[in-house]
Amino acid sequence: MLFRKICALVALVLISSIHVAQAEPYFAVREGLKCASCHFNPAGGGMRNAFGNAWAQTALPARRIEGTGTDAWTGMLNSFVALGGNLRANATYTDVPNTKASSEFELQEMRAYLAVTAIPDRLAVYIDQRLAPGGSTNLEAFARYTTKDQHWSMQAGQFYLPYGLRLEDDDAFIRQVTGITFATPDQGVQVGYESAQWTAQLAVTNGTASGPETDEGKQASVRAEHVQSIWRVGAGFNYNHTSEGNRQMQGVFAGVRTGPIAWLAEADYLKDETLGPTERKQWVGLIEGNWLISRGQNLKLTAEVFEPDTDVDEDEQNRFSLVWEYVPFQFLQLRVGARLYDGIPQNDLQNRKIYFAQVNGFF
Amino acid sequence: MRKAKLLATCMTCALAGCAGDGKGLDENGRPEGESSGGTLQPTFQSIQANVFTPVCTACHAGAAAPLGLRLDEGASYALLVNAPSVEVPALRRVQPGNPDASYLIQKLEGTAARGGRMPLNQPALPAETIAVIRQWITNGAPNSPGASGGVGGSSKSRFELVTLTAISPARDEAVPAPVRDIVIASNVELDASLLQSNLIQLRASGGDGNFDSGNEVPVPVNVTVRSDLPSVLAITPRLAPLEADSYELRISGGDPVAMADMQARPIDGDDDGTPGGDFVLRFTVEMTR
Repeated sequence: MLFRKICALVALVLISSIHVAQAEPYFAVREGLKCASCHFNPAGGGMRNAFGNAWAQTALPARRIEGTGTDAWTGMLNSFVALGGNLRANATYTDVPNTKASSEFELQEMRAYLAVTAIPDRLAVYIDQRLAPGGSTNLEAFARYTTKDQHWSMQAGQFYLPYGLRLEDDDAFIRQVTGITFATPDQGVQVGYESAQWTAQLAVTNGTASGPETDEGKQASVRAEHVQSIWRVGAGFNYNHTSEGNRQMQGVFAGVRTGPIAWLAEADYLKDETLGPTERKQWVGLIEGNWLISRGQNLKLTAEVFEPDTDVDEDEQNRFSLVWEYVPFQFLQLRVGARLYDGIPQNDLQNRKIYFAQVNGFF
Repeated sequence: MRKAKLLATCMTCALAGCAGDGKGLDENGRPEGESSGGTLQPTFQSIQANVFTPVCTACHAGAAAPLGLRLDEGASYALLVNAPSVEVPALRRVQPGNPDASYLIQKLEGTAARGGRMPLNQPALPAETIAVIRQWITNGAPNSPGASGGVGGSSKSRFELVTLTAISPARDEAVPAPVRDIVIASNVELDASLLQSNLIQLRASGGDGNFDSGNEVPVPVNVTVRSDLPSVLAITPRLAPLEADSYELRISGGDPVAMADMQARPIDGDDDGTPGGDFVLRFTVEMTR
């Protein structure tokens, strides 16, 4: 029975060809897959599809443990309804210079995903809801229509913007500075294209990060990526026209696998008229190496740089992270890590150190 | 493969060790003299310089600000004080005089009904810092240095001129009908007694987009103060919301009576660097498609 279940899961992984999934971009680089291979969202993040759930049970963990008399979880309740979720709980120790160090346990988030595919492979309604901490907050809610050949899709509603690497870490400079995070979905429409080696999305939204629209200006965000088995390269462009001024950013990102290491890199250049009386130009960059120590164990080393204003000298900031990730068995990830900020000496927060342990349950 | 690893290692090293030494910068990473911080005091300017700018604007700045809440200098006061929360519209982000009912405090203390505690994914603000923000709100959330009854604040105003800024609509902006109010912010507290005078006039162009053709139509307005201390003004059409047309709002900065601050300094309405001159805001209200 056990053998049959595992065979069924492996077969599912091997034969599944629609809506590929991912949990972090380095998984996709390591496997040579597109984000959409494992996730409902073509740019990644959120609900995993059947392939993603199968991969998370077979290829990702150090070992697989069995329940009692239950079938393997695929996320699919039936042909039309799929469920998923994430829970992250942290223990964090924060050391800010000239401030008493603090430590706390924290429920970072509990998110639930629901996809109702009214017409299989063609028409779906999707919801990503943040349930905790605090009250419920909608992050994504959209309807998506996909053409018969599965190449083109169109969605409308509220969704994460397509731009750059969709890292899990919202505090990474390439996420925080660009403002493209899991906390800043926006409302509008998106057209997507998928082929064997290409994935691209174009979104037109209010440009208010899901806040109320206050002007006539809109935001356009584009992401295109070419994927090969061991490398990939992509580019993003975002333009937000507002009554307060315009904001433009463009960037390139890439991934490559060298033996057991999956590398990620992204660089973005921003021009923002809304940060001060004059236009401000900024750079942000990231390089990340993910070393597959053994099955289920990953060591992540990240170096980031942020240039807040190219017209101001000596204001650059760095951020370094070392994170050990362990998936002892399916649907559970343990993370232990340190993040060191390095900025100007007169700003204590820019020189803080954070040490954390995290439990990430997902399904 | 070895070359690739070496290259990646070199790139990582290239990124490392290049943090700025901060020479010539203030604590917010801006050139000295551009902004002033100092010890945190229960004044808006001090909180802006010590909390909003260095901490909150990592995310809440510019066009990408979450939920449209910009906390960068120049926008934060108008978007905080007496402005309804997006997450819980029944609450104001800052309700002057009532910190417990202010959504800003609830978000900082982690007691808000929705969403995570702010700053998101960062260490919570020290209790002493939140206490200062509470005190500022208790004092009426004024937007002027040292206007909190002598509690804290700089003894010297950093504003040499009284300037007005169009918050909504922006200058020359085209906005969809109907427009229910026009929001103007001042960099200092204005003399509220002058609001009863006929200093603020709103005219519709009469359909031709021109304000010199003689067919302009005066639009009667009410002026209300959005903050307990008058630095944010809401100008509301008295009869009905503004429909499609071009409009001109004019706030007098000269004879016979000029809008002025509490020190009787007239506004620099024409933005020429000297006191005086009318503040003129033109915008267009478009048909709703």
